[in-house]
Amino acid sequence: MLTSLLLVVLVAGLAVFVHRRGFAGYAPAPAGLAVLHRGEAAFVQAVAEVLFPAGGAMALSGADAQLAQSVDRHLAALPEAKRFQIRLLFHFVEHVTLFLPEHEPGGRQRFSSLSAAARVSLLERLANHPRSVVRLLFTALRSVFVLAYLGHPENLHALDLAPFEIDPVVSDAEVLFPRVGALPGSIPHGPADRTEPVRTPLDPSGPRHPAYARAGRQERGEA
Amino acid sequence: MSPLATEQLEGARERVRVFAQYDHAFEEKCDVVVVGSGPSGSVAAYELAAAGHDVILLEEGPPFTTRDFALDGNLSMTRTMREGGLRMTRGTTMPTMQAVALGGGSLVNSAICVRPPDSVFERWSSRYDLDRTDRANLDPHYDAIAEFLGIEPTPDAVQGKRNLLFREGCDALGIDSEPIARNVRNCRGSGECFTGCRNRAKQSMDVSYVPAVLAAGARVLTSVQVQEIRRSGRRVTGVSGQVVAPFSHGRASGRSHAFRIEAKAVVLAAGCTATPVLLQHSDDLANASGQVGRNLQFHPGVAVAGVFPEAIDSLFGATQGYQSLSFLDEGFKLETLWAPSPLLAIRFPGIGADLQARFAELPQIAIFDAIASANRSLGRVRKRFRSLEPVLEWRLHPDDVQILRRSLHVIAQIFFAAGARKILPGVGGIADVIHSVEDAAILDSSAVKPSGLVMGGNHVFCTTRMHGDPTRGVVDEDGRAHDLENLYIADTGIFPQCPSVNPMFTGMALARRQAQVLSERL
Repeated sequence: MLTSLLLVVLVAGLAVFVHRRGFAGYAPAPAGLAVLHRGEAAFVQAVAEVLFPAGGAMALSGADAQLAQSVDRHLAALPEAKRFQIRLLFHFVEHVTLFLPEHEPGGRQRFSSLSAAARVSLLERLANHPRSVVRLLFTALRSVFVLAYLGHPENLHALDLAPFEIDPVVSDAEVLFPRVGALPGSIPHGPADRTEPVRTPLDPSGPRHPAYARAGRQERGEA
Repeated sequence: MSPLATEQLEGARERVRVFAQYDHAFEEKCDVVVVGSGPSGSVAAYELAAAGHDVILLEEGPPFTTRDFALDGNLSMTRTMREGGLRMTRGTTMPTMQAVALGGGSLVNSAICVRPPDSVFERWSSRYDLDRTDRANLDPHYDAIAEFLGIEPTPDAVQGKRNLLFREGCDALGIDSEPIARNVRNCRGSGECFTGCRNRAKQSMDVSYVPAVLAAGARVLTSVQVQEIRRSGRRVTGVSGQVVAPFSHGRASGRSHAFRIEAKAVVLAAGCTATPVLLQHSDDLANASGQVGRNLQFHPGVAVAGVFPEAIDSLFGATQGYQSLSFLDEGFKLETLWAPSPLLAIRFPGIGADLQARFAELPQIAIFDAIASANRSLGRVRKRFRSLEPVLEWRLHPDDVQILRRSLHVIAQIFFAAGARKILPGVGGIADVIHSVEDAAILDSSAVKPSGLVMGGNHVFCTTRMHGDPTRGVVDEDGRAHDLENLYIADTGIFPQCPSVNPMFTGMALARRQAQVLSERL
């Protein structure tokens, strides 16, 4: 009886410890996230800060690029199984230091509570790990962030890699098919609306897609 | 083919069905049901419909208009690719993609149309008991498709610097190179083939063969997932499945109505990884040989980024504009490559400021790649538990590792000959950056471990291979299943081996030939 009681107390204590160290105390998540919960959003922000620090060669820092929102959009669009795998990866990296701590004071904390130096140290350990499977996991993690960060309109605009502005084209397909999810009655074009093919190559320094150009103006503080 | 006449278009629109129109379960009858609207399926459907047969073309994905194309490469992949573009092989880990859209892979590929050399067909004929699968037999089919789609070499005006640098590098080394022939009319060089051509210059199936299929009187049903091929004795009687919502990744929803189509013949063109799963899901159909799902082959590809001293307007230019076939005998083909920048950058090395510095070099970067004829690297496709997605098991053979090493080294030499000041080889276990052609020799050495190779494999073959011997192959030379009288397969799964060059054109040529044979038999 006493042994059982001790076991229950031990398990309960362990549960409280794991909860406090692993899952409690996160700041509220940014509004409007569909998939990420507050802990995952904090993890995304913590990775973004060290993967893409302020003062680097890019227009935006990871902290300013609102990666929680873009990662959330990506996850929401994925099949459930893939979404689960990526979230599992987030949790693995977020909590691995509870079991394999960084060698510094305060190194036995979850990833998002570590110092920036400790976070970089952990990511480098993963990137250079002797086991290829761990390196692969790191590459997968970093890919999620690179896609979100570099895909940010301000970054692409600053690199002059924003998509070209292209006038809408109406081909047979635009006459035959409605937009995805819509009824055929919503097709705005008839056969007579079809446009002639544009035969001139784009100008490499020509105008860029308006959404990206807007991002660039915002970046420069222009109206 | 020129755009359809007004009256053809108006009639054609009535024969398309999209997700929003399905409000109950339904049944249809036809002469031939074609499963999959990718290049092979669309060509087969067109040939059959143009010959006067009543055809239904089925597609699991939706049609895309130019306003549906996502400029963000990441979002585009989640919408147009199965498993959100995150499908991986097991064994040797490698990403591989399959499109789910009207037009299949042609919507999001770079439109490369290459005829394999005679040596490929000679190998196929001698090893797989095939009598009529050679260039002489297939050239009329290649020619007809080339005319229909306007296949031509990419003109210099839209090559852009990053493609022309490949030519410069090859010229400097005395390597033959050539502009890539593509199914593109009036390319403007937006480099957006992988996210959908907003110029509609690319003649993907949804703007070429599918409208022609409709104009020929066929019906096209989109957002329908075939789940079973129905059979009676040695004949198939049709297919059944359910409606699936766009971008739902095949998950059932409140509007997942069942459907059933009866047909005199079934043509499976669901793709090399989906067709065997569908057969396995249909009580292991057409598998007396035991070969369904086996012999899986890829063209594993590797890519190197070259950094030039100045910006090269890398955004502008054909997605893949130049190639070299000079190394086919050694087992690889070289190409130029472009994709949305974030997708290219996921392979850049580093963390923090180092990584950002690499991103900042993107305007100075060109990418060259190699695809390998990995005939010794084999695998299999099998059905996943409670899913129509495949499990892909595949292992890279050591001999093919040698091919990839050699190709990396040749690419590096081309880059330095073209004036690159450094390259990012994208290989684990060696230096992240190589600054000289002398140092690049490491790429063709045992320092490049198989686990360090970062590969992609988007050309897939052989899972329902063609073989003259019914005990060793799934279909005969006409694409008909050895076990069944009226089931045909028309996708790259029937290739007996990898074709050494981009497979779309050959898939279409074989499909055209098969459709003409089937048409006579109906």
